[in-house]
Amino acid sequence: MSTHLLLAEGIAIQGEGVTIAPFSYLLGPGDRLTLLGETGSGKSLIAQAIMGTLPKGLRAEGRLVIDGERFDAADNASRRALWGHRLALLPQEPWHALDPTMRAVHQVAESHRHVAGRGRRDAMYAAWADLGELGLAEAGTKLPGELSGGMAQRVAFAAASAGGAPIVIADEPTKGLDAPRRDAVVELLARTPEAAGALLTITHDIDVARRLGGEVVILRQGQVVERGPAQQVLTHPQSEYGQRLLAAEPSRWPRPQPLGEQQAPVVNADGLAKTRGGRELFRDLSLTVSPGEIVGVVGPSGCGKSTLGDMLLGITSSDAGHVQRATGHPLGFQKLYQDPPAAFSPHWRLSRLLDDLIRRHRLDRAKILPLMMRLGLDERLLTRRPGEISGGELQRFAILRVLLLEPCFLFADEPTSRLDPITQRQTLELLVELARERHCGVMLVSHDPALVERICDKRISLDGTSSLTGRELDTAMA
Amino acid sequence: MRAALASRTTPRWASHRAKGLGGLLLQRLFQAGLVAWMVGTLTFVLTRSLPGDMAYRIAAGRYGHDMVNTRAAEAVRAELALDQPALTAYIGWLWDLVQFDLGRSLVSGQPVVHELWHQLGHSLGLAAMAVLLSLLLGPPLGLIAGLKPNGWLDRVSEVAASVLRALPPFAVGLLLILIFSVSLGWLPAAGHGRTAHGVLPALTLALALAAISSRVARNAMADVSQSAYYAFSRTKGLGERLSFLRHGLRNAAVPVVAYLGVQFVYLIEGVVVVETLFAWPGIGHALVHAIVARDVPMIQGTALVMGLMFVALNTVVDLICHWLDPRRRSA
Amino acid sequence: MSTLTLHPARRRLPALNGRQRLGATLLALLLAFAWLVPWLFDADPARQQLTRILQLPSLAEPLGTDHLGRSLLARLAAAVQLSLGMALLSVTTAAVPGVLLGVIAGWRGGWLDRVLGSLADACLALPGLLLVLLLVAIAPGNFWALYVGISLVLWIEYFRVVRARTRVLVTSPQLEASRLLGFGPLYLFRRHLWPELAPQVLTLAAFGAASAILAMAALGFVSVGLRPPTAELGLMMIELLPYYHEAPWAMAQPIVVLFVLVLSLNLLAGRDPR
Repeated sequence: MSTHLLLAEGIAIQGEGVTIAPFSYLLGPGDRLTLLGETGSGKSLIAQAIMGTLPKGLRAEGRLVIDGERFDAADNASRRALWGHRLALLPQEPWHALDPTMRAVHQVAESHRHVAGRGRRDAMYAAWADLGELGLAEAGTKLPGELSGGMAQRVAFAAASAGGAPIVIADEPTKGLDAPRRDAVVELLARTPEAAGALLTITHDIDVARRLGGEVVILRQGQVVERGPAQQVLTHPQSEYGQRLLAAEPSRWPRPQPLGEQQAPVVNADGLAKTRGGRELFRDLSLTVSPGEIVGVVGPSGCGKSTLGDMLLGITSSDAGHVQRATGHPLGFQKLYQDPPAAFSPHWRLSRLLDDLIRRHRLDRAKILPLMMRLGLDERLLTRRPGEISGGELQRFAILRVLLLEPCFLFADEPTSRLDPITQRQTLELLVELARERHCGVMLVSHDPALVERICDKRISLDGTSSLTGRELDTAMA
Repeated sequence: MRAALASRTTPRWASHRAKGLGGLLLQRLFQAGLVAWMVGTLTFVLTRSLPGDMAYRIAAGRYGHDMVNTRAAEAVRAELALDQPALTAYIGWLWDLVQFDLGRSLVSGQPVVHELWHQLGHSLGLAAMAVLLSLLLGPPLGLIAGLKPNGWLDRVSEVAASVLRALPPFAVGLLLILIFSVSLGWLPAAGHGRTAHGVLPALTLALALAAISSRVARNAMADVSQSAYYAFSRTKGLGERLSFLRHGLRNAAVPVVAYLGVQFVYLIEGVVVVETLFAWPGIGHALVHAIVARDVPMIQGTALVMGLMFVALNTVVDLICHWLDPRRRSA
Repeated sequence: MSTLTLHPARRRLPALNGRQRLGATLLALLLAFAWLVPWLFDADPARQQLTRILQLPSLAEPLGTDHLGRSLLARLAAAVQLSLGMALLSVTTAAVPGVLLGVIAGWRGGWLDRVLGSLADACLALPGLLLVLLLVAIAPGNFWALYVGISLVLWIEYFRVVRARTRVLVTSPQLEASRLLGFGPLYLFRRHLWPELAPQVLTLAAFGAASAILAMAALGFVSVGLRPPTAELGLMMIELLPYYHEAPWAMAQPIVVLFVLVLSLNLLAGRDPR
């Protein structure tokens, strides 16, 4: 009997414009391996290659040894018998991975019954025990649609691991979760190696990789860029890409230039309140935004961050209080969106959309080219449609579009949360620079407190649970 | 006429998931009232638009040409309330309808309710046979095709469904008559009495229904088999068979059953044509005859019963969906 | 300083898949048949020649004659014209108000939405054909009663689909962004709503045309639709039915034409009905 649980030798993936260069790894009891890479780096395919669930048109090569048994990676069907028993896969987006018409406890119990081979009654007991242990005792009779993202993640974990598989593969387990829930998932994952299993995690989140520890592999465009122990790779990376990736962490960003002297505010809100669906989001919230100032808003999802911004823009009404906007700027209040493609009609070329804007407001065409260069946008991009350029480019095009109207206030609603870390840093640095230069006040919503702490002049925290009243503004740049 | 004028969007009554069972039934009841009102109003307009000599013609139809006189015509006129001002007559007309007093057939002189009773039995028998046959043919085929989208079975059944969808039921019925009655002589073409008489009309309707339900089932199954929860069920170790039984069937059944509600539009419409083609003495046949003979009370009665049958069948679909999909129950 | 040259965007043809292309080809052939035949052959669809009934296809009568000696070629061409004309007319009458009301209801919301929604629901309470039958009963054999009935049933689908889509789009970031950028409702409709709605409306139109054609044929077949001697596909079938033994080829013709007509439209719609 060998001491390793999983040995992968020269696993490579080919087909349909995807190439993952061969790479090998070894996982023994208690080992943790984290594959770190941005979207499109092909990291999820590696999990699928191990499981044998690669989509049609993709082919795996190489050799796998699981529990001493050899498998050809190209033969997808060969690992099916191991599913649930030896190999467990924690799915991406657990919300969608649970059967929407089956109650949570039954989805766990069926694994106990049909995978672990317990009796009907035993399986139910075991399922309730699992849920209780994960703090889900009252969620057992609920349908997946009634669970929160974090709860669904735990139910999926219980269902996947009920078969007692020692090798756990977690594919983007923290996608779409906010900071506290992310930490809880990391703790959950750490149980496997603690129980002498092996954990393979695939993530784009450096923080998750750091917390999990073990070995880290950085992937870029299907190539292994760097690998080594987590402490070393995630503090002193050797590769150029690794260094850039790490430098893209908000805590390492350079601080922006100081704001300088305060001018008359562009937006002045006083005593705002909002209740939605019977829940009070905030009450008695007052704030001002000055020209060129960056105001950060943080808080858990659903706490009313976007609603607050929309109120300042005048898109949403408030239940109480009033908003005073600087006069003389009918088009001076603009917004950047979380998902860049969603903010454009996908059917028209960017040149057409830009042309529409120029004609509508009789703008000066001469201003466009320098601004595009400033934003790092190639003129050729204009012949494409919004869906045909990258998210980062499109978000910068959105900034271009907005800046042409010379705004005095910009509400940026998580403008970089769908972008990879390096692009996020570029985009936000540009945004801050341009805001300062053009005296445009910015309200920046983010789910990342570190980011807000780094670049914002002021911070507003909307804490949906602990306090219902908006906190006094606390200055982060102490 | 399964493809004729059937709304492909499910009516609001059929798609309310946030409503409890009580609210659902209440909405169906409201729909039934709406059906009665529309049928009543349209047939009332019909009585008012009858040309002047119509009373004579109807009287002739009932009493024979020799017996027609002014009194007979007056009797018909009174029956249709043609002698009263429009508004009074309209209110009286609807009041009779509310009391389910449908009057007498202008052709046979029999009470309409009495005739409907017989016809309804025949139509329901035919419809039940057709739905049963279509459920045996369509959904199983669709489910198997949906497990392997673009496999050979999927392609063959797609072509078959396209062909059937483009053939109106009367053409399908004609072809079936030509094959099974005329050429092979296995089954009677028209008439009624023995079970054999029902086979061809039921098969005609069933083929039309199955053509659609097989595709709906196929799409539903394809969606399910490509869903994340189906993949998860397999990777957590349940295997193909258990995944299909525990997670595939129920999830695929929800849209299939919900679509049955839309299919009943086809069924009701198909009944009209198929009964006429096969001389099946049901409601649809009677409606067509009544329209040709301008027998207003019979038009009203048959249209009303068909409309209500549609509502009743949809209510059954609602109940099944409610039972199948726990999301609706806990909502 | 150089000014930016914006590249003129070329309008792309709507991309048809293989199935849709087949449908479009079939439909084009039928259109050519219906409009070229009366132009090339000098045949009257109503002219009876009782000495030449149920004749086999020949050079003079490429498709043979019916039980009254009428030219089947001329009658089929006239019937296809009638069916397609009716389909086009009722689809247009249904689509234009359906789309407009759908956009208005979805955009404005509130009481207007509820009123229009209830109106559509009321029209759906009865199975469509029943409504058409009742209207036809009021004015038997009348083309316009048939047309009004069919349009009345068809508009609801445009309304419901467009309303649902508009509702989603109106609250979407893309519309909000354009509004903040200072664009008016007409622009929003042209650039944001219409490109999203058009493919669905076209699919509905193809299905709607097929439905209209089938409805008219079905009514003709059960003798409550248009009256003889009109050349109409359903009517032709029922007229030729008694002669299927002597002249199966004659009987088959209207069935085949109706089949190809409906098939081409279903293929053109490009999707399964859902």
